[in-house]
Amino acid sequence: MADSGGVRPDLAEVFRREYRRVVGVAARVLGSRDQAEDVAQEVFLSFGRSSVPDGEARGWLSVAAAHTALNLIRSGRRRASREETAAVAEPVVVGDVADAVVVTEERGRVRAALGRLPRKQAVALVLRHSGLSYAEVAAALDMSPGSVGTTVRRAETALREELNRHASSG
Amino acid sequence: MRHPGEGVLRRLVDEPAGVADADRGHVADCARCLEELAGAREDATRVGAALSVVGVRADSDIDGADVDGVDVDAAWQRLTAVPAERSARATAPRRGRSILRRPVVAALAAAVVLAGAGTAAANDWLPIFRTERVGAVSLSTADVMALPDLSAYGDVAVTRDGEVHRVRDAAAAAAETGVDVPELAVLPRGVTGGPEYRVGGKVSIAFTFAAERAERAAAGVGERMPSPPPGLDGSQVRLVAGPGVAAVWSQAAGVPALVVGRAVAPTAVSAGVPFEVVRDYLLSFPGLPDTVAAQLRAFSNGSTLPLPVPGDHVTSSTAQVHGVPATVLATRDATMAAVVWVDDGVVTAVAGAFDADEVLAIAGEVR
Repeated sequence: MADSGGVRPDLAEVFRREYRRVVGVAARVLGSRDQAEDVAQEVFLSFGRSSVPDGEARGWLSVAAAHTALNLIRSGRRRASREETAAVAEPVVVGDVADAVVVTEERGRVRAALGRLPRKQAVALVLRHSGLSYAEVAAALDMSPGSVGTTVRRAETALREELNRHASSG
Repeated sequence: MRHPGEGVLRRLVDEPAGVADADRGHVADCARCLEELAGAREDATRVGAALSVVGVRADSDIDGADVDGVDVDAAWQRLTAVPAERSARATAPRRGRSILRRPVVAALAAAVVLAGAGTAAANDWLPIFRTERVGAVSLSTADVMALPDLSAYGDVAVTRDGEVHRVRDAAAAAAETGVDVPELAVLPRGVTGGPEYRVGGKVSIAFTFAAERAERAAAGVGERMPSPPPGLDGSQVRLVAGPGVAAVWSQAAGVPALVVGRAVAPTAVSAGVPFEVVRDYLLSFPGLPDTVAAQLRAFSNGSTLPLPVPGDHVTSSTAQVHGVPATVLATRDATMAAVVWVDDGVVTAVAGAFDADEVLAIAGEVR
């Protein structure tokens, strides 16, 4: 699949087609577009060396982006939440500051909880919320389409419980 | 008829066309299912909002244009540019342009050598061993997905003495790490100039097993955990690797590059539970593919570092380097190869844009 330079010839085409989506997947895990773009660079570097068939590129790239981003969260190398706070604060200049604080906290908590979910649940959840269809998520994760809904539902239940726990204790 | 399962109800929330007519018909007339559907919808909306990012539309259409303000042209430039110096980071694929162009094997080699991450890379796989040799474990993407996520089974704490960073020269690398800096008397054809040196500190990963949490995690995915062996609950396993140093030769575009790294090889200790007990228990975790479990079980002596290898892209074989067994990895397209060996508790790796024979010849010259 690779040419003499070692990089697959369709890299540019796939990059232009899928880059935004890969950033979107990583951003949902990390809460930061800048970090998500870093992750996307890593993912496309690996993809460029791979022989993943074009038809499977979207699923492969999305799974790789989710894993790389989840690994960042888990290894604790994610940058402090200043960036996240700033990103949230930006559009709420005219909004309710208290709401913004709640939203910021909730986002931080949900991402920490995401890092603690079983890996398959976390990846399936992020892929579905990034716009991949049930069939695409199923193919990317080697699951049956029927089990995607169950897996996503369980992840959402776990995250909702996490949010409620803090809401009631706070 | 039977009530549809929670997965079907969840799909009704955002992809109703994918649900069978019979199920849809049932739900429309079933108070209990409608109530559960409402709950699923509420959770999906709330989690979707919490996962949202400014500038990234929630649950976008499949048109690839779901992130506002992303400059794809600039991102492409960044991907294809030859950076003078990329910041050294603990994740291997960003370290220097040799790895930029040849990520697969170089990333593996550098990760193993600099951070002892060969074990951790496989989703926190944590055997108990003293590394005396390295053996390749062939994993597909699906296999990696299926490896147990240890944080669901107990507490995982990672400590490291500093991030991977660049140092001035070999003497500084030796002073900082206490590791004999690898030297190459004769550079292979196509590689010129002096290397850059990067060092990484000692990394320690502690895992404390929690039987109750493991049960919960397994139940959450509809599985049952096997009963833990006596004494394992609350016991701790500690993995230590590094420090290490890597010499990186980077050249202009199109010219081969080379990485030679060396580190204190990973060791792991367990608080009182024998290696075989922990290994067999970990291998019995739900979801671990039989093929992977069989490969890992083959490392029966507690001294072989299982090196996760993407089997779809990389082949592995064995050879002798400096009189000790070595593992040779080569990409299937023959553009890149690496060799890894362990001698007296020190792991050394050589990786570059060579074929397997060439990289073995270079390894033979490493002092």
